[in-house]
Amino acid sequence: MIGSVFLETLKTTWKQMVYWGVGLAAMALLVVIMVPLFNMQDMRKLLESFPPVILAMIGVGQELEIFATNEGFVAIGFFGKSALIFAVYPVVMGMRVTANEEDSGTMDVLLSLPVERARVVIEKFLAYGVSCVGVVLLIYLGLHLGVFLGGVELDVLRLAEVTFYLIPLMVFIMAATVLIAVLVRRRTVALGIVTAFVIVSYMLQTIGLAAEGTVAESIGVVSFLTYYNAGDILSQGFIWPHIAGFVIVSAALVAASLYRYERRDIGI
Amino acid sequence: MGTESVIEISGLSKSYGSGSKQTLALNRLDLSVMRGEIFGYLGPNGAGKTTTIRLLLDLIRPSAGSASIFGMDIRADSVEIHRRIGFLPGELSLWEGRTGDQIIHYVASVRGDARGIAKHADELAERLDLDKTKRVRDLSSGNKRKLGLVVAMMHSPELLILDEPTGGLDPLVQQTFHDMMDEYRAKGKTVFLSSHVLSEVQAICDRVGILRDGELKAVESVEKITNVEFHWVDVTFRDAVPAGLQGQLENMATITDVSTNGTRIRMRMIGDFDPLLRAISGGYVEMLHVEEPSLEEIFLAFYSGDKEKIQ
Repeated sequence: MIGSVFLETLKTTWKQMVYWGVGLAAMALLVVIMVPLFNMQDMRKLLESFPPVILAMIGVGQELEIFATNEGFVAIGFFGKSALIFAVYPVVMGMRVTANEEDSGTMDVLLSLPVERARVVIEKFLAYGVSCVGVVLLIYLGLHLGVFLGGVELDVLRLAEVTFYLIPLMVFIMAATVLIAVLVRRRTVALGIVTAFVIVSYMLQTIGLAAEGTVAESIGVVSFLTYYNAGDILSQGFIWPHIAGFVIVSAALVAASLYRYERRDIGI
Repeated sequence: MGTESVIEISGLSKSYGSGSKQTLALNRLDLSVMRGEIFGYLGPNGAGKTTTIRLLLDLIRPSAGSASIFGMDIRADSVEIHRRIGFLPGELSLWEGRTGDQIIHYVASVRGDARGIAKHADELAERLDLDKTKRVRDLSSGNKRKLGLVVAMMHSPELLILDEPTGGLDPLVQQTFHDMMDEYRAKGKTVFLSSHVLSEVQAICDRVGILRDGELKAVESVEKITNVEFHWVDVTFRDAVPAGLQGQLENMATITDVSTNGTRIRMRMIGDFDPLLRAISGGYVEMLHVEEPSLEEIFLAFYSGDKEKIQ
């Protein structure tokens, strides 16, 4: 029956989604509660004293005005430095689409049922995509809770854009993970490659931000994290070409995964 | 047993790796399994049994050759084939955090008839004495196997593909399983099972095929094969083996492979026991142990030039 793999995947994932979501929401809440403790003008001076490479490492470019606001503080404190944390959940879920089940042997049982391989991949991918949305919603709830508990003046709608922009980012990371797992087959090797991919992307983004206005800035273009910049989103809102880019590349990665998975041996 | 073949395999080969690391797991297999028969697929570890089964299920792809089930190609029509078959893997892995009931419901919902299937699953679980409310991680290996059997059989498939189905099951449940197989046959359904247990194969199979090093060595009826009567006989004397006994036994037409070890003498014997009993009567026999050959030994004897001698 269509949707049965999707529903089962949701059933077996909702607890992890809640744990991750609550954990990240607690971090968001903590950052929001800390906002009144800082004078934003002092914050700006502090940022100005940092060399570009340090700013780049916390996801800040050279437009510092945007970060000398309450929303900017949250953007740096939570969305900026946590970019790598946001990558962990979709990697874990991406490994579950094929690699974990092949590794444990349950994929043999599942694929002995009347279900196409492509359907298994698509339904599981969609279910884990929904769980990513759930995590992001919980994070947004954490921001609201921080505002309520801390009595903080914060434009939560502006932060909504930064928060929900995480969805295409996480879906992209998950799609990349699925493709690598399908190509490499061995779970541990696939996990290593995905981790390297994320860390190298982070380094390239850092170099690109640190070298703004120079030739080296173009290095950042190849990092997917460059297209999730909390400061840019705060100042410009949703950057639709970037979102479309994430969606199109994710779709291409999933299509490539389906093509390969349809043609290769399972569990070898 | 019908005349229509349910499984038809032609020149099926599978190799893994490439270049100098390439290994041939299955070499040009030709095999037909008929509707209504229980076919035993035998061979030592690494012979290619599981490879054959995984090829039939379209989990791995052949390097050469083709196969069909119910007249449909195993690759092009795999979904339709899977609708009509049940499968139990040799190394069964189920979703550890889920209960038996949840797994049954999941599999039934993928099959598309959750209610009807779940009802039959209840009956099977009761017959196999399976507690479906426990999580898989809390089940013993035998109970996991029972759950695997329920999952494989709950939709009453036309063809069952079972890889070492009774491993880990206690004798009572094994008997229940044998009864279930008899019922399957009576309904005109087909079973393709791999096993290495002689008594099981003798009890439930109609024909057997033996696989060795990826090649099918023989396909024969169980009745014909197990009519080849030879036994391994161990005689332990209280004192030394009587002088000249080994030579005397070696000269007997019905006895081969004689070896002595201290007070013990071991041999392979065909036919009646009387000539042997007369020959050993010169010593004080402390113990006489008669051992049935394994099915593989019978096959090898049957097909290795001893055939005429044995018959």
